[in-house]
Amino acid sequence: MDPAEVEFLAEKEPVTVIPNFSLDKVYLIGGDLGPFNPGLPVDVPVWLALNLKQRQRCRIVPPAWMDVEKLEELRDLERREEAFSPVPSPYYMELTKLLLNYASDNIPKADEIRTLVKDIWDTRIAKLRLSADSFISQMEAHAKLDNLTLMEINTVRVFLLDSLNCMYKLRSNLQPDICNCDFFFFISY
Amino acid sequence: MDTHSYLPVQPGVGMEESFLSLDDILLSHERLPIRTECVFPRLGFLERSNDTQDIPEGTKMELPLWLSKGLYEKKRRVLSVDLPKVYREGWRTVFNADPNVVDLHKMGPYYYGLGSQMLHFDSPENPEIGQTLLQTFIGRFRRTMDSSQNAYNEDTSALLERLDCLEKALFRSGQSGLNGFQSWEKGQASQLTASSLVLNYRKRKITDVQL
Amino acid sequence: MSDALSDDGSDINQDDSQEDTMTPAELIVKLEEAWLNEKFSPELLENKSEVVECVMEQLTHMEANLQRVKKGDAKAGIHRMEIDRIRFVLSSYLRSRLQKIEKFFPHVLEREKSREDGEASLLSPEEFAFAKEYYANTETYLKAVALKRMPPNLQTVDMLKAVPEPCLDSFVFLRVKERQENILVEPETDDQREYVVDLEEGSQHLMRYRTIAPLISSGAVQLI
Repeated sequence: MDPAEVEFLAEKEPVTVIPNFSLDKVYLIGGDLGPFNPGLPVDVPVWLALNLKQRQRCRIVPPAWMDVEKLEELRDLERREEAFSPVPSPYYMELTKLLLNYASDNIPKADEIRTLVKDIWDTRIAKLRLSADSFISQMEAHAKLDNLTLMEINTVRVFLLDSLNCMYKLRSNLQPDICNCDFFFFISY
Repeated sequence: MDTHSYLPVQPGVGMEESFLSLDDILLSHERLPIRTECVFPRLGFLERSNDTQDIPEGTKMELPLWLSKGLYEKKRRVLSVDLPKVYREGWRTVFNADPNVVDLHKMGPYYYGLGSQMLHFDSPENPEIGQTLLQTFIGRFRRTMDSSQNAYNEDTSALLERLDCLEKALFRSGQSGLNGFQSWEKGQASQLTASSLVLNYRKRKITDVQL
Repeated sequence: MSDALSDDGSDINQDDSQEDTMTPAELIVKLEEAWLNEKFSPELLENKSEVVECVMEQLTHMEANLQRVKKGDAKAGIHRMEIDRIRFVLSSYLRSRLQKIEKFFPHVLEREKSREDGEASLLSPEEFAFAKEYYANTETYLKAVALKRMPPNLQTVDMLKAVPEPCLDSFVFLRVKERQENILVEPETDDQREYVVDLEEGSQHLMRYRTIAPLISSGAVQLI
C-alpha cells in the first residue's frame, strides 16, 4: 500500500474545528456534518478541516494527545517497555504530519511535537525490526500485533511478507512429497 | 502509487520455477557438471574435445539445468549430476558456521534457486542441502533487512554486491517500503511531476520547430 | 444556500434505509473494507457487485443534484470533495481486482469453469469478459512472437501450469472484528506442535492467509 493511501484513510478521522462562518447541516453520503456556527466547535473529518483551514474558514483544535507533556510521557514509556505501547491514535503519525504541515499556527509548540512524535516513531520502528527478525529466526506461525498502526505495518509489509514466503518455500523443500512441478514438462507434447 | 499496469512474473522459489519469469529462465541456463551414464549416439559434435561421432558413456561435461533436468530419470540412468561445490559438505560447513561471511553473489548468483533445483536430482545429501539453504536464509535475514532499511538515498551497490538474487529482490522491496515512507514524510508524494515521456515529447517538439 | 441539496440528501438516507437495512454511510464503510481486503489478500476475493452498484447509484444521484446547484455554493464544494474521495476508493478497489485477474487469469477462469450451479461467481460479468479477453490476447501474443516458430509439437503452452497460482500460504496482517475461538495454528517446523489461539475482538495478528480466509468472507476479520 502506498503511504499516501494510508494518509487518505487517516483523513477520515474526526477533528474539532472552530469555524468562522455559518452553514446548515451538510448531508454527505458518508454521514451528516454540521451545522456550522461562527465560534462554535464542531467535529469534521480531517480532509474537510484542512480544506477549510487552507481557505481560512476555521481554526483547528489539536487533538488532546497532541501535547508536549503527554507525548513526552508516551515517548518515555515507549523507550522503557519492550512491547509496543498503546498509541494515542491509530493514525498518530499521519495526523501529526497533516496537522503540523497545514495548521501549525493552531498548534502550540509545533516543533517540539514534531520531534517527539518522530522519536516515538523511531523507537517503535526499531522494535518492529527486532520482532520481525525474531519472528523469522524462530519460524513462528502466528504473532499478535496489538497497538501497531497501519503506517508502521506498511513500512515493513512487503519486505516481511516476501521474506516469509521465501522462507516457506525453502522449508517446503525439506518435505519431498510436495508436488514436483517440472519446468521441462510445462510444454505439452 | 505503488501500482503498475505491467506485472512482471516473480521468480518461483524452492522447487518451483515460473515459466514466464525472466529470472527463472536465466536460472534454468546455469550449467551443471554431469557425467553421461550411457552413450549419446550421434551427438559427438556437441562435445568439442572428442572427435567421435557419439558421446561415449562416462564423459564428464557441463549441461544447462533445464537439459539436465529433462534428461535425468531415477529409473533409467542417462546421466548423473555432480553437486556444484558451493552445495557440497565443505561449503555447507562454512555456511553453517557463519552465513554472513559468504559472498553469495560470487558463489551464485542463484544460490537459493539453484540449490533448491538440485533437490530434483536424487542425492543422499539432499536433506542437508535443503537444511543449509533454509538456515543460510534465516541467518542472513537480519543483515538483508538492516541494510535495506538504512540505505535511504545512499549508494547501495556495496551493500548489494554480496547478496544472492533472491536477497536482492527482498532488499529492493524493503527499500521501496522505506523510500515510500520517507518521501511521504517529506511531502514529496503530494508533488505532481510531469512524466519523463511528456518532458521528452516537449523537447522534441522544440527541436522540431528549430529545424 | 440551495434547498435542493439538503432535501435530496435526506431523501437518499431515507430511501435506502427502507429498501435495505444499510445506510449510505454503512455502504461506504463496506466499500472501504472490501477495498482493503482485496488489496491485501493473496487471491481474488468474491466480487461485491451490489456494493459497487449501490455506491455508483449514490454518486450518480449526488452528481445529478450538484448539476442543479448555483455556482459558488459552499455545500457543493464539500459534496464534490466527498464524491472524489469515494470515487478514488471505488476505482482503486476495481483496479486491484483487475490486477489480480491479470496476474492469475488461467486460475480465475478455471475456477469459474468448475463453479457449480447456484454457487456465486467470483467475477462480475464485466470482470469475466475482461479475464476471457486477457487470456485470449496473451495466448495470441505468445503464439505470434514465439510459439509459431517452434516445432509443431511444442506449439501449445498450458497456461494453468505456466502462470503461478496465488500462494494461499502467504502471511497477512489482520484485525479482528468479531471474537473467534480456537483458531488452529499449524506448526512451521517439525519440532513445533500445532496450537490454537483465540482471536479477541479488536486485536491484530500476523498469520497465514489460509487459516483465516473463511473469516474474511464472513466479515469476522479485516485485512490491514
